[in-house]
Amino acid sequence: MFKNLKVSFFLACKSIKRSNIGTTVLTIAIMSLIFVNLIFLPSIVEGIAETIEQQARDYMYGNILIEPKEDDFYIDNVDSLQKKINSLPGVLGTAPRYMVGATFTHKDKFIGGTLHSASPADEIVVTKYHEGMISGEYLSESDTDEIIMGLDLTGEEDKEGNEADLGGVKVGDKIEVTFSNGVIKEYRLKGIFSVSKMGMDSFAFITEKEMESVLGSNNQASQILIKLNELGTEKEFKKKFMELGIKEKIKTWEEKTAGITEVVVSSFRIITLISTIVSLIIAVVVIFVIIYINTIYKRKQIGILKAIGIDQRVIIRSYILQALFYCFSGIIIGSILLWILLSYLTTNPISFPVGTIIPVIGTSLIIQSILSLLIVSLIAGFIPSWKTARESILKAIWG
Amino acid sequence: MIKVKNLKRIYHKGIVEVHALKGVSFEVKKGEFLGLMGPSGSGKSTLLHQLGLLDTPTGGEIFIDEINILKLSENEKTLFRLNQLGYVFQEYAILGELTALENVYLPLLMTGKKKKDCINLGMEMLDKVGLGERAHHLQRELSGGEQQRVAVARALVNNPKILFADEPCANLDTESSRNILELFRKLNEELGQTILMVTHEEWHKKYVDRIIYLKDGLIEKKGVQDGH
Repeated sequence: MFKNLKVSFFLACKSIKRSNIGTTVLTIAIMSLIFVNLIFLPSIVEGIAETIEQQARDYMYGNILIEPKEDDFYIDNVDSLQKKINSLPGVLGTAPRYMVGATFTHKDKFIGGTLHSASPADEIVVTKYHEGMISGEYLSESDTDEIIMGLDLTGEEDKEGNEADLGGVKVGDKIEVTFSNGVIKEYRLKGIFSVSKMGMDSFAFITEKEMESVLGSNNQASQILIKLNELGTEKEFKKKFMELGIKEKIKTWEEKTAGITEVVVSSFRIITLISTIVSLIIAVVVIFVIIYINTIYKRKQIGILKAIGIDQRVIIRSYILQALFYCFSGIIIGSILLWILLSYLTTNPISFPVGTIIPVIGTSLIIQSILSLLIVSLIAGFIPSWKTARESILKAIWG
Repeated sequence: MIKVKNLKRIYHKGIVEVHALKGVSFEVKKGEFLGLMGPSGSGKSTLLHQLGLLDTPTGGEIFIDEINILKLSENEKTLFRLNQLGYVFQEYAILGELTALENVYLPLLMTGKKKKDCINLGMEMLDKVGLGERAHHLQRELSGGEQQRVAVARALVNNPKILFADEPCANLDTESSRNILELFRKLNEELGQTILMVTHEEWHKKYVDRIIYLKDGLIEKKGVQDGH
């Protein structure tokens, strides 16, 4: 087996070494571009998915979200619940929120939306709204008559009027808020944030203290966001919370975003799948044509090899090794191209509607791409060489 | 050494049957230099192809050292060709991607020998055929005669029991042809190499021990050469 493989390797090496350099370079260039394509598009989709998930963790759910029990409107005894959760090692912080329907009015423009409460000290640990302030300031604990709003809610002054925003209100403007319980109160716009295009920029926040005074509630919340030290430990902590006797609904960010991510990336995944299939077909065709032309051109040589006692399998394997050479060279050059491309995109991320995207290349994607390219190369190398090598010796030599 | 019994080969060209060999029987002794002669289409090359396991006869038997070689499996035939037989074709059938030396030591590599040993033995063989200095030249850098000598070196490198040569001088000038034939004669006399050579040149007769004349797929006559 190995002595024969040595001969196959010898024949393949000589064939590559003494073949047309232009054809070899062109074949490797095509294979490397195919490899780039196999990795790049899925890495963008993964980047989109990861951005969505990151935003969901940073702005909407934390790592784990606690919601009221089935028939309850609010979570009760929030303080003790927070203490209980925060006492667990590995929990970074908790942020309770009230969420109420409200109408925001500025001059003649009004818009309906959801008003959240924030306990700034807690919120800063769990979410990143404070990092996304594009104008004004984030809330402080003592704020009572102040509100912060997302850019999609405030609108931009220079842009044409949008029915779904307040037409470009600025920090310092007065916003009238009509709460679902009928309370109407005027707030000063303290800050405007822009963190994501996934709906978070349509949020508005007042302090927890202010919300409780309007709602007349105390020590309650619509949800509690929990931030963990380590990503990936959510399931383990969910179990721990249940063991602590928490009866409220406990959901990990993955459970909360499963549907959303799927909706956004499913179309991209179809495009990626089509692109992958097309790439692999091109790879098959390129290698098949190269090896086929090679074997046709060297038909006589194959006949001579067989005549002098070189096993047919050795000849076939020599062509498969040539196909693998094109494949691996393509993978190596393609990896260098990808590295250059990714280095550029890391410093210059692509702007997508969901935010700025940095391609994400997972090990499984790399393995999957290498394996698929390897398999198509093996098939495309085997079929034409097998077809020619099984011809009778005399037919191969003299036609 | 070689026993051929009632060997037949029928080719099918469409609905037409071509009887290339119609029942040929003869024997070849070890160390004999046999010439196969006859007009075009007489079946000389077809006979050589059957003996050399390059083709499968329609009927008959071939024994080489008491082995019925037609009963061998395809893999066994390949190994038999590698270890027991050597070929020199009419055209310069050497591999264009390999140097003269690589062409010669390739069959040795296939036997599992170390590459270094293969190179040394290949070099020795090239020296024997007078091409030591052209060892690292590719096919396109060698003349017709040199290419044919590379083919001879390759055919002999595994010490085959029988060397088959199918009109080895057909594409060579007289001088190159004489060199090849003298090389064959030398190998036959000095090493006892059994050689079967197809030729149609009358002046080649003096190099062989015996001649079998073929005509229309049958042996017309067998003759022993004077002086051998």
